[in-house]
Amino acid sequence: MKHLNEEDLIEHYYTKGESAVAGQHLESCAECAQAYAALKGDLAKMEFAEPPIRDAAYGKQVWQSIAPSLLAYEARRRGWLRGGPGRALSYAAACALLVVCAFIAGRQWEHRHIPAVAANNPAPARQIEPKAAQPREHVVVVVLGDHLDRSERLLVELKHADADSDELVAPMRDEARNLLAANRVCRQKAEQADDPALASTLDLLDHLLAELANQPDGLNTVTLTRLQDEMKADGLLFEVRVLRSRIPDKQADKSARHQGGTI
Amino acid sequence: MDKNDHAAIQAILAGDKEAYGALVVRHSQSLFRVAFRITGNEADAEDVVQDAFLRGYQKLGSFESRAGFGTWIYRIAVRCALDRIGGRSIHENHRVAEETDPEQDEVQVADTAAGPFHLLLSGEIQAMREMAMRSLTPVERTAFVLRHMEDLNTEEIGVALGIQPNAAKQAVFRAVHKLRLRLAPLRVRI
Repeated sequence: MKHLNEEDLIEHYYTKGESAVAGQHLESCAECAQAYAALKGDLAKMEFAEPPIRDAAYGKQVWQSIAPSLLAYEARRRGWLRGGPGRALSYAAACALLVVCAFIAGRQWEHRHIPAVAANNPAPARQIEPKAAQPREHVVVVVLGDHLDRSERLLVELKHADADSDELVAPMRDEARNLLAANRVCRQKAEQADDPALASTLDLLDHLLAELANQPDGLNTVTLTRLQDEMKADGLLFEVRVLRSRIPDKQADKSARHQGGTI
Repeated sequence: MDKNDHAAIQAILAGDKEAYGALVVRHSQSLFRVAFRITGNEADAEDVVQDAFLRGYQKLGSFESRAGFGTWIYRIAVRCALDRIGGRSIHENHRVAEETDPEQDEVQVADTAAGPFHLLLSGEIQAMREMAMRSLTPVERTAFVLRHMEDLNTEEIGVALGIQPNAAKQAVFRAVHKLRLRLAPLRVRI
């Protein structure tokens, strides 16, 4: 039989007999039981002086003694302002200088790298026009790109819209009204340029924008669901995204302009 | 965590230093109790309480609200008390005198020829217990106090002392073993 050592007995005492193994052993082993009784006796006698009673004012006394040496957190957080207005101004001037340096560096970088980027990303052959038509066509392409961007955002909002939420629906209606006129101009241009894919998509978009913009009673759940279903059936959002991907973005456009070309 | 404590902490971190006063008032008693038990005298215990609240304030930004403030500041107080008794030894701090006077760090050693009844009457048993306690290392003493008087388990003691639970358990074992050896003469006499 393996007896319990002092550590086991101490553990058993402080865990208040949690260990069933030790408890069973103590019941069956007189030697260990005697040792445990002696330990219990010793520990029970280890009563030390109780802490002196502190009255209710003690906490306040402690607080009064330490309070003067504490610094408020807010004051520490704003410690960098403690140097006065001069120090704050110097920080502001340093920040402004950094911004100016970053701007100049960005401009320099742009001048050096744009020709290379443009050379590596030639525009699609279909979009290269004679030099005489460059400015006007350029404006049209940029306007079309912006228009498709805004239309795409509106369609995404429409896709996830909830008719109960007025703060979302009202701006959508306003945006649709704004886009409607631009969409008609773009559609006419697409027809003139003999681009049936673009014209067809813009036609669908025109229909949707008109519906969205001209609901006399606002958008109720039934109307919203119908418009969402139509948009989904036509694959309008996908079509707009495809068309948008055909339009070079503004950065590339700028590159081309620096190079003297047209998108 | 106590809602009042939580609200006070939020206020302090937002710049209201005075809100810390409420926490100090609320938890001073419990900190004094454990500090006294570890250090063994009032003056040290009072210093420990102040140190603990000062340290607590400095570290309040890193306080994680999932722990109770009371438990957190209690642990800090235990560390402060441990620091306070660290390096102190029975030989450095106590001398034999005609009367036992804890305030003067003087202790009257029991006459072995005296009977147990006399020992009880003169309060020397208590003095010997205190002497035995002071013979422990700071960690052993603190671990024993937390286990025997504050009823903490070994995991809690480990956290409070910044040691592994098994090391805390061993510290308690060593403390009990030493105390029993030191107090064995009393057991025979009584």
